[in-house]
Amino acid sequence: MDLNRMSNTKKLQLCRWYFKVGFVLLPFVWAVNSIWFFREAFIKPPFDEQKQIKKYVIMSGAGALTWAIVLISWAVAFQLQRVSWGATGDALSFIVPLGRA
Amino acid sequence: MDSRNLIFLVILTIGINVITCERLHEQIYSSIEGGAGCFRRLNGTHQAGCSSSLNGAVGVVHMIQNITDAEWLVYNSSAGPYMAVVSTSLFYDIIELFMQQPDNVAGVLLYDNATTRPDAFSQESRCPNQYSSWSKSQCPATQASSGSKLVWNEKGTNLLRRDIPFPIFFLPQTRITEITKIEQCYNKFNIDKENQKGQALCSLQLNSFMYAAVNSVVCLRRSASSAILTPTKVCDPLGDYNVYYSLFPRAKESETKKKPVTLVTARLDSASLFDGVAPGAASSVVGMVAHIVAAATLAQIIPLADASLYDENVLWTLFNGESFDYIGSQRIAYDIAQGAWPPISPLSPKDINLHIELGQMGGSLKLFKENSSWPLYAFAPYGSVLPEQITAFLVEMVNNLNLNNMTLAPIFTPNLPPSSLHSFRRIFGNITDNDMPEILLVDHNETFSNKFYQSALDDYENVGYMYHNISISSDGKFLSTDELLANGTMKESDAQVKIARVATALARTLYQKVAGKPYNGVVSASAHLIDEMLYCFLRSQACRLLAAADYASSAEETPAERPAPLYVGVAAWASTPAVYAGHLLALLTGTHLSVNRTACDKFDEPGFSYYWLRGWNHSGICIQTTMNFSQAVSPAFDKSDYDMSSGEFSTWTESVWQAMWVRVFVRAGGGGAITAAVAGVLATAAAALVTHWLQRHAALVFLDSPASMHSDASGIIRTVNC
Repeated sequence: MDLNRMSNTKKLQLCRWYFKVGFVLLPFVWAVNSIWFFREAFIKPPFDEQKQIKKYVIMSGAGALTWAIVLISWAVAFQLQRVSWGATGDALSFIVPLGRA
Repeated sequence: MDSRNLIFLVILTIGINVITCERLHEQIYSSIEGGAGCFRRLNGTHQAGCSSSLNGAVGVVHMIQNITDAEWLVYNSSAGPYMAVVSTSLFYDIIELFMQQPDNVAGVLLYDNATTRPDAFSQESRCPNQYSSWSKSQCPATQASSGSKLVWNEKGTNLLRRDIPFPIFFLPQTRITEITKIEQCYNKFNIDKENQKGQALCSLQLNSFMYAAVNSVVCLRRSASSAILTPTKVCDPLGDYNVYYSLFPRAKESETKKKPVTLVTARLDSASLFDGVAPGAASSVVGMVAHIVAAATLAQIIPLADASLYDENVLWTLFNGESFDYIGSQRIAYDIAQGAWPPISPLSPKDINLHIELGQMGGSLKLFKENSSWPLYAFAPYGSVLPEQITAFLVEMVNNLNLNNMTLAPIFTPNLPPSSLHSFRRIFGNITDNDMPEILLVDHNETFSNKFYQSALDDYENVGYMYHNISISSDGKFLSTDELLANGTMKESDAQVKIARVATALARTLYQKVAGKPYNGVVSASAHLIDEMLYCFLRSQACRLLAAADYASSAEETPAERPAPLYVGVAAWASTPAVYAGHLLALLTGTHLSVNRTACDKFDEPGFSYYWLRGWNHSGICIQTTMNFSQAVSPAFDKSDYDMSSGEFSTWTESVWQAMWVRVFVRAGGGGAITAAVAGVLATAAAALVTHWLQRHAALVFLDSPASMHSDASGIIRTVNC
């Protein structure tokens, strides 16, 4: 879809729709939304729907960022602490490493 | 088709095959066959043994001729890591250095050079099975006179119980040609020690990647978990079967009228650091053979039919897995304490009025090979007050041995050499107030006379064994020791004769104990039988005795012409030594019934087992025997709530591995790879520069080129994009 060929109402609809879909544990949709509509929200000359688009872009971005922080911290904690968690660490592993702790 | 054409076609096909079949892989690598790898074992708290990385450890070959070579490798080498190729005679001197400074050591290839055997070689601990010993037994023990520390296995490196940071492989002396191959490669490429960096070097790759890690708790947990992508078993508990046989059947005994039992035991298994190599000649075979032959002799002295005349019974038991914290004896002691062994009319500790263990024997046979003496020692864990049974046994046994100019010196000390006595004293110590009388017969005093305890070199040469190869008559009669001595076939100094003397003395002492009167007959253990049995366990499984003791139904394929390794193995499979020992006991002590196979299979008298074995003339024979097998798996794996780190029972497991192999190849010096990388980078940079220049100056190069492509190109992209 080319945003340039779309009416501003459609853009707002689309942006809102992406924002709502992101709530179904889909942080990537939020990330896409915030990047995709970034130009519309902050760079384009003002238009009526821009304020709302800006709101959704900021919220989607914040959501995606929160998700990213949570996921990265979990990955780091798991990699560093799996061995010391013992049985729990093994139970949480999808692939148990062979030949080491 | 014309036959000439056909021949031409065949030759052409073969020719093409020869040319194409040798792959690049085969041109680079040369496989080293017959190596035995060191593998990983785990207990409740630690991992022990070796593992390579997933793809195998790679290192530059370095032939270690002396300690200086090893020091050079560790401290001064430049092209590391290195693969040390070392003979068994040097191993003891250099391995500690490698263990302390493993950074430059990729692995060790150990080879056995028949011409230079070491004086001692043992990878077992200095105090074997120290952590499952009886609490009053001390090792290391402080010597009263000098104050120095006494250990059983003085030259033990303890590698069997340590985590080794690099792989080790062992090449037996039959594979010495492989070492020549490596040495040639080494001399061609690596001989200039000072200028190795950046050169093409002869290298070795050792692969022995182990799946299990950390300890038994972790590896058993991982084996039990069913992860989706890795349903892999990473380790198995060690275990096998114990063998037991009673002189008289014990099935019909009632609770009130139970015959007291003398328990006579020996160890079946041995171990070594390497897979498939556990000859255990002095570590276990001599004791086990003496045990089986003594049982056979006593069965000859007291026929089964006379069972009702005697008020005592003898229970002969062979323990398996004793090398790894007494798996077999712990299990039996534990089962007796639970009232569950033997399954038919179980014993209680007070039913056993004497326990005799034939411990480690044979270590001093080589030392005394020139004369007829073989000093034996009886360890008894008693002080001033001796149990009556022990005194009686000692007096009788010493008498019987003295008849043949052999000696038995009692040693009264709580410091017991490694033996099943530790298991019984530990486990029964908690449940009975009266001590079960126990005694251990060995051929060493304060330290082991066997300098190759639990090692790859504890083979027939270590006990000075020479096979006499005397044929056996078709009815299974063996020549008596006296006949063999009289006709000069054997000498008094032969190991076979000495073991026969011990077996005879033991059988007669037990007769005295069971019958209450001294033995006056002429039955004695045959050195001929011992010769054959030692051959089966020390030289070749394809031997007369095992052929006769095999199931008649099994296919007539001859087993391999090498001794069966005596390592206990994992509990998932029964290993051959226990089966061999059990069948030999059945064949030599059981009643031969003259019935055919169908009738033999139909017998079902409680307390007896019926075996249809091949027999001496291979026509099949029906044996009625009280011999049976019982599981030798540590109670630790049966008790669901057992704490693996408590150290109460053996917790040894063995890691699973997929492959073990060794190969030698010439590693490139690295110059070629660097040239290729640099050339690649330069070519890419040049191409980029040329493209950039062409784009800039397109008008100069192409005649009708537009001045700039930028504006139009973006227009095109815009129209294509929807």
